[in-house]
Amino acid sequence: MKAHPSVITKRMSDHPTDSNTMDRYEATGGYVQAKKAMGMTRDELVELVKSSGLLGRGGAAFSAGMKWSFLAPARPSYLVINGDESEPGTFKDRQLLERDPHQMIEGIIIAAVANEVHDAFVYIRGEYPKPARRVQRAVDEAYAKGYLGKGIFGTDYDLEVTVHLGGGAYICGEETALINSLEGLRGEPRLKPPYFPAAKGLYMLPTIVNNVETVSNLPHILERGADEYKALGHDLDTGTFLFSLSGHVERPGNYELPHGITWRELIFDVGGGIPGGRELKCWIPGGASAPWFVPDEHLDLEITKDATGKALSMLGSGAVVVMDDTTCVVKAAERIVRFFSHESCGQCTPCREGTTWLEMVLRRIESGSGRTVDFDLLIEISDGISIGLDWPPKMTTICPLGPSAVSPIISITKYFKDEVLAHIEGGGCPMGVDHG
Amino acid sequence: MSYWSESTQQRAKEIIARYPKKRSAVMPLLYLAMAEDGHVTEEGMEEVGRWVGISPAQVQAVASFYTMYKRERTGRYLISCCTSISCMLLGGDDILHAVEDESGVPHGETDPDGLLSVEHVECIGACGGAPAVQVDYELIEGLTPEKARELVRWLRKARPDTVLSDEMQELFGSRTSFDWAISEGVGATGPYPAFEPYGTTGGDE
Amino acid sequence: MAERVKITVDGEEFESEAGTLIIRAAQDNGTYIPRFCWHERMNPVGMCRMCLVEIETPRGPMLVPSCTNTISDGMVVHTRTETVKSAQEAVLEFLLINHPLDCPVCDKGGECPLQDQTMSYGPGESRYVEIKRRYEKPVPISALVNLDRERCILCARCTRFADEICGDPLIEFADRGNATNVTTFPDLPFSSYFSGNTVQICPVGALTATPYRFRARPWDLKKANSVCQHCSTGDRISVHTSQNEVLRIEGVDSDATNHGWLSDKCRFGFEFIHAEDRLRVPKVKEADGGFRDASWAEALDLVASKLAAIKAEHGAGSIAALGGARGTNEDAYALSKFMRVAIGSNHLDCQMDDGLDPQFLAAVADRATINDLDAARTILVWGPDLKEEHPTLYLRVRRAAQELGATLIVVHPRTTGLHDRATHTLAYKPGSGPEILAALKAGDGALAAARQALDSGPVVALIGRTGYTESPRLAEAVAAFIRTLPDAKVLPLARRSNVYGALDMGVAPTLLPGRASISAIGCANLAAEWGEFPNVAGKDARGIVEAVAAGDVKALLLMGADPVRDMPSGADIGGAEFIVAFDQFLTDSSRLADVVLPADGFGEKSGTVTNVEGRVQKTNVVVPSPGQSRPDWSTLDDLGRRLGVELGLKSAEAITAEIAHVAPAYEGVNWELLEWDAPDGAVLPLDGIPQPLQYVPADVAGKPERAPLVLHYARTMYDDGVLMRHGKSVAPLAPGGFAALHPDDAAKLGVADAETVLVKTAV
Ligand SMILES: Cc1cc2nc3c(=O)[nH]c(=O)nc-3n(C[C@H](O)[C@H](O)[C@H](O)COP(=O)(O)O)c2cc1C
Ligand code: SF4
Ligand code: FES
Repeated sequence: MKAHPSVITKRMSDHPTDSNTMDRYEATGGYVQAKKAMGMTRDELVELVKSSGLLGRGGAAFSAGMKWSFLAPARPSYLVINGDESEPGTFKDRQLLERDPHQMIEGIIIAAVANEVHDAFVYIRGEYPKPARRVQRAVDEAYAKGYLGKGIFGTDYDLEVTVHLGGGAYICGEETALINSLEGLRGEPRLKPPYFPAAKGLYMLPTIVNNVETVSNLPHILERGADEYKALGHDLDTGTFLFSLSGHVERPGNYELPHGITWRELIFDVGGGIPGGRELKCWIPGGASAPWFVPDEHLDLEITKDATGKALSMLGSGAVVVMDDTTCVVKAAERIVRFFSHESCGQCTPCREGTTWLEMVLRRIESGSGRTVDFDLLIEISDGISIGLDWPPKMTTICPLGPSAVSPIISITKYFKDEVLAHIEGGGCPMGVDHG
Repeated sequence: MSYWSESTQQRAKEIIARYPKKRSAVMPLLYLAMAEDGHVTEEGMEEVGRWVGISPAQVQAVASFYTMYKRERTGRYLISCCTSISCMLLGGDDILHAVEDESGVPHGETDPDGLLSVEHVECIGACGGAPAVQVDYELIEGLTPEKARELVRWLRKARPDTVLSDEMQELFGSRTSFDWAISEGVGATGPYPAFEPYGTTGGDE
Repeated sequence: MAERVKITVDGEEFESEAGTLIIRAAQDNGTYIPRFCWHERMNPVGMCRMCLVEIETPRGPMLVPSCTNTISDGMVVHTRTETVKSAQEAVLEFLLINHPLDCPVCDKGGECPLQDQTMSYGPGESRYVEIKRRYEKPVPISALVNLDRERCILCARCTRFADEICGDPLIEFADRGNATNVTTFPDLPFSSYFSGNTVQICPVGALTATPYRFRARPWDLKKANSVCQHCSTGDRISVHTSQNEVLRIEGVDSDATNHGWLSDKCRFGFEFIHAEDRLRVPKVKEADGGFRDASWAEALDLVASKLAAIKAEHGAGSIAALGGARGTNEDAYALSKFMRVAIGSNHLDCQMDDGLDPQFLAAVADRATINDLDAARTILVWGPDLKEEHPTLYLRVRRAAQELGATLIVVHPRTTGLHDRATHTLAYKPGSGPEILAALKAGDGALAAARQALDSGPVVALIGRTGYTESPRLAEAVAAFIRTLPDAKVLPLARRSNVYGALDMGVAPTLLPGRASISAIGCANLAAEWGEFPNVAGKDARGIVEAVAAGDVKALLLMGADPVRDMPSGADIGGAEFIVAFDQFLTDSSRLADVVLPADGFGEKSGTVTNVEGRVQKTNVVVPSPGQSRPDWSTLDDLGRRLGVELGLKSAEAITAEIAHVAPAYEGVNWELLEWDAPDGAVLPLDGIPQPLQYVPADVAGKPERAPLVLHYARTMYDDGVLMRHGKSVAPLAPGGFAALHPDDAAKLGVADAETVLVKTAV
C-alpha cells in the first residue's frame, strides 16, 4: 500500500492535546483560508469546489460544488451542517467534532460565503454532548475573535452559527428530515420533489446541507487549490476519505485514506486482520444501509465509489463493519433490520410496516420458530419495499431508510442461504449464538 | 406565567432568539423542560408549547418522535447500552445483561428510588470502541461485563453530582474509537445531554 | 389560464393544466389511481404509497407517487405495469397486516376505501402470522368523535385537517415508526368546531361519529344533496336517510363554497328534525293561555278573520311580519307577496335588529364572491368572528391566508379564530370602532403596514358587525372606505342561513324582490303580477317591535322568527292584539302567539336558497313532513285566498319560476338550471342580467361610544337557539352565556374568573 498523507486528521495527530483550541488552530495556519474566502465571489468558490471534485461525505457522495450551484436565488439562504452521524458503524464525524472543531467552523465560513448565508446551524446528534460542547466552545472562541458574528474578519459580512442538539433519531440525518427537525417538527423526511433543500429547505428557503467531514475539507481545498486537492485522492474520488473500521478487526478506528486501495488492504493491512486467528466471513462496506461483501467475491476489489456501486453496494458514510466466522448472519441481519425498524419515521407504509415485519420474521427464525415459507417471505416483504430488489433500489418508500433494511436480507439470502435454512430446519441458530 | 426558574426562562429566551422562527426552539426547550422536571412532563410540554406558540399536542408529537425526551420518570443516571451491530458483534448484549442483572432494572425501566434507568439503544457512534455504554450520554468505550457491573455499583455508591466521561472511561473502559487525547472536567447532571447553552452541565474545565 | 401540456397515461394522450398532480390529471381523464392519504383539498404528503405509478425518464422507468408529482409536457405515465401492480399489492398487504379486519362491525364497512381497494388491488390472503398492534379502542377524542387506532392506516388526513384546514392542531401523530399513532394531548380533546370532517375524510373506520355509531349500514342509506341551513355560507351537503329518518349529513365538495367541509353544527345539528316536540298540527290559544290542537281550516279561518278585522279597523299599516330568513326563497317570496299584496303593508323584516342595512347586504356595489378570496392578495375581516358565525367561510379565509399567501388583516375588539393566521391584527376597545377606522384610513404609525397592504389588490373585505351593540353604520363606513381602494370588493356579512334570500325576495322594509329598492319599482313584470301595493319604506324589526309596544302595530306574523330571544335588546311583543306564528317549535316568541301553524323545515321542503355572496342553490326534500305541517308558502297562499286575494302560489317550482319572472336579479333561475347545469348554484344576477340596485355604502361611521365599560354582544357557534336545543348531540356543546372582561377591568371590579356577574346596559 502506498504511503498516504493525512489531511483533515493531521492537526489532531500532530497536536493531540490541544488540536481543538483556537490557539493551536491559528498556530497551524487556521482561519487563513476563511479570510481568503471572504475576498472571493460566490462563483469563484462554487467553481473551485466543483473542480476539486469534492464529494459529499454524508453518504450520498454527491458533488459538493454542484449542490452549491443549485442554490435557488431566494434569500435568506441557510447552511446546515449535518452532524447527526447515526448510521451503525460510523463514528468519524464524532472525532472531527471533538478533536478539530475549528477546522469545521472554518469550512462553515467558506461554505457560508459561497452560498451567501448569514445563518448557519450545526445539527449534532443528541447522544454526542461532548462533541457538541467542543464545537460550542470553538464557536464561542470564534465569536470572541470576530470570526463569527457581526462583521466577521472586519468585513461587513454577518455570520451567526448555532449549535443544535438532536433528540435521538437516526432519520434526522436524512437532510430533509433534519430540516423538519430544525424547524421544530417531527423528523420526517420531506418529499423530493418538490422539497430539494437547495431550492426549498429550511423555512422553505434555499438551504445547503453538508456533512461535517465535507465542510472540514474546504479549508484544505482553498489552501491547496483544486488540482493538488484532487491528487490526494484517487481518480474520481478526490481528496482523502475517513473510514470507520469496526467489528471483528484487530485495530478498529477511523482511518484517513485515499480511495483505490483494496478491501484486503483495508481490513488486513490497515485493520490488522481478524483477531484470534479466526476467518473473515463478510463485511459491510459502507454502513448498515449497504449490502454486504464476502471474501470470495470482493476482497480484492478496489475501494472506489464506482467499483463498489458496480458490485451492488456502496461506500456510504465510510463505515466498514467486519464479521468473522463466528458471526451468525441471521442475528447480524436481525440487528441491522431492528435498527431500521426502530429508526423508521413511520410516515410511509412500506417502511413502517415492512421493516417491522422483517424484524419479526428474522427474530422468529433466529429463535427457532422459523417456517419453511419464511425464507421466501423475507424476500417478498423486501420486494414490497424495494421492487425487484434492484441496486440502487426501486423504492416504494419516501426515503432510502426503508430500502436500507432490505440490504441485509439481500445479503443473507444471497450469500448465506444455507445458514438461514439451517436455522429454519434446525429450529434455531446452528452456531449456538443466543438470540437475546 | 411560567413555572420555570428565572434562569431557565432566561435561557429559553436566549435559545429562541437564536432561531429565525420560534418553533425551531422546541427541541432545545424540551431539554430545558427535562432539566426542570427530571423528565418531560405534561406540564413541561404545555410550557414549551406556550414558549414557541404551538399546541401541546404538537409538542407531544415532536417529543415522542425522539428517543431522548423521556416522558416517564427517569433515573438520575440513565445507563444506555449499545446493542447495535458493531457493539453486538463484540458482546454488547452481554454488557446489557450484566447491567440489567446487576442493577435489577430491565430495559426501559427505572429503579424504585429513581436512581438508575437502564435501556438498550441503537448505535451511539462508538463502534471503534465497542462495546460501549453511555451514562447520561457521557460515553464509556471498551467495556466488559465485569466492568459494567462495577459501573453500576459505583454509580449507586459514589452517586457523582456530575457524570464525567473521562472519569468513567478511566475506571471502567478500555479501548476507544480514537484517541480521546483531551480530557474534560465537564459532564452531565441528569438524564439529558450536558450542553452549556442548555444549562445542563456540571463540573468545570 | 395556466399553460396546457400533453401527457400520456397508459398509452392515452391528453391535455391538462401544467402543474396539476398526476393523480388528478389522470382522474380528470378517466384513469383512477388508488390512494388513501391524498385528499384533493389538502397538501399532498405521499405517505400511504398507494398511488405509486411509473413515469418514463431518460434513465428508465421511475416509481413515483402520483399524488406529489406534477405533470409536465410530454410526460409518460404508466399506472398498470407489473412494477406498479407489485407496489400496490405490497402497500395493501402492509396496510392490512395490522388492520383488525373487523369490517362487519365497523361503521365504515360498505363504504370503506381500504375495503374497496383490497378487493380491487389487494393480495389474496395475508401471510402475516405475527402479533398485530394493539390499542385501547375506541377512545373518544371529542364529544362527537371516537378513534380506533387499530383500524388507523396513518394517512395523516385527520391530523392535516386539524392543522392545515381548521387550525385546531389538537390531534397529532405521536411516537414514531411502527408505534406511530394518532392521538390528542392528555385531557385536551379535539374539541374543534370542525371535528366531524375528520370522520368524513378518514379512509377507514378509525374515526367514527358518536351520533352515527352503529346507526346504519351504508347500503341502507338514501342520499340526497341539499344546502345546509345553519349559516349563510350555503354549504353543499349530502343528507343520508333511512326509513324517513335523517341519520347523517356529509359535506359535498363544492368549489364555490365549502370545499366539502362542514362545521359540526351543520353536520350534527339535524336532530331537531325528528324532535318529539315538533309542531305537528295547528294550535289555537285558549282563554286560559294554553294551546289546543285545531284543524287547519279552523286555524286559518281564525287568522284570516283576525287579520281582516284588524286591517279594517286600523289599516294595513297595523299589520307587520318578522322572519323568513330561515326558510326557502319561495317561502320568503310568499311572505313578501302576502304582506304587500294581500295585506298592503311594508312592515316586514327578516333581520332581527342584529344585521345591516338590507340594501347594503343584498345589493352592495362591487360585491365579492367567496372564490374571490382565492385570488385576493389582501383580505380584510372586520366583522363577526367568522369561526363562530360563518364557520366554512372561516375555513376559506384561513386557506387563503395560510395556503394561498394572502395578507390577512383582522379588526376586532377580541381575539378571533383568525388571529393566528393574520398578518395584521387591529384590536380596539368596544365602542371605539370609528376611531380605529379613521386611523386605518390615515395609515399612521402602527397601522401603516396594514394600510399599505390594502393598496395592493385584489382586496376582499368581509364586513359585518363585530357585535350586535355596535352600530351597523360602522360596517357601512368600513365598506365605503374599502370602495375607495384601487382594486377591492366587499362581502357584507349577515348570519341567518337564508337572510340573503329573504332580502332578495323583499322581506325588508326597503326592498322589493330581485334586489330592487322599494322606492323605485323598476320591474314591469312585478307591477303586472302584484298590482297595487304601497311603495314607501316600512318599518324594520326594531320599528315593528316598538310599534307593537306603542300600540301602532296590532297584528304580527312571525315566520320562523323568535324575536323575543333573538333580538339583541329583546322584544316585548306580548301586547300585540294578535300574533300568528309559523314555526317548527313552540319558542319564546311563538308561545305568545294566538295561533301557531306547523311549518315544514329543513329537509321537508324543496326550493331555493341564496347565500352570502348572492349564490342561489337548490334544496331538496329528504324526509316527509311531520304530522300536518306544511311549507309556509302554501299556508300563506291559503290565507291569502281567505282574505280574498289569489296569490297564485301553486308549488315551490312554480314560485321559483314566478320569482325569475318578477325579481330582476333572479331572471333566468329555474330548477333545471340548478339541478343539472349549475349543481353548485349560480351567483346572481346571471351573466348579462342587470341588477336594479347598486347600493353605495354611506361613509358615516358615527361617534365613538364613551363609557367606563361598553357591552359588546356577540354569538358563539353553539348557543341555545331553538334548533340547537333540540339536538341531543349538539345541545350539550353550548357554552352558555358568558361575559369576557379585560383582566384590568375585572380587577377593578373585583371580579374573579368563573364568577357569576349581572350585566345591565343602557342600550
Ligand atoms: C436515512 C438517511 C440517513 C442519513 N444520515 C446522515 C448522517 O447521519 N449524516 C450525514 O451527514 N448525512 C446523512 N445522510 C445523508 C444526507 O441526507 C445528506 O445527503 C448529507 O447530509 C449531505 O451532505 P454531503 O453532501 O456533505 O454529504 C443520510 C441520508 C439518509 C437517507
Ligand atoms: S422510508 Fe421510512 S424513514 Fe423514510 S420516510 Fe418512509 S417511513 Fe420515514
Ligand atoms: S395517495 Fe399518494 S402516497 Fe398516499
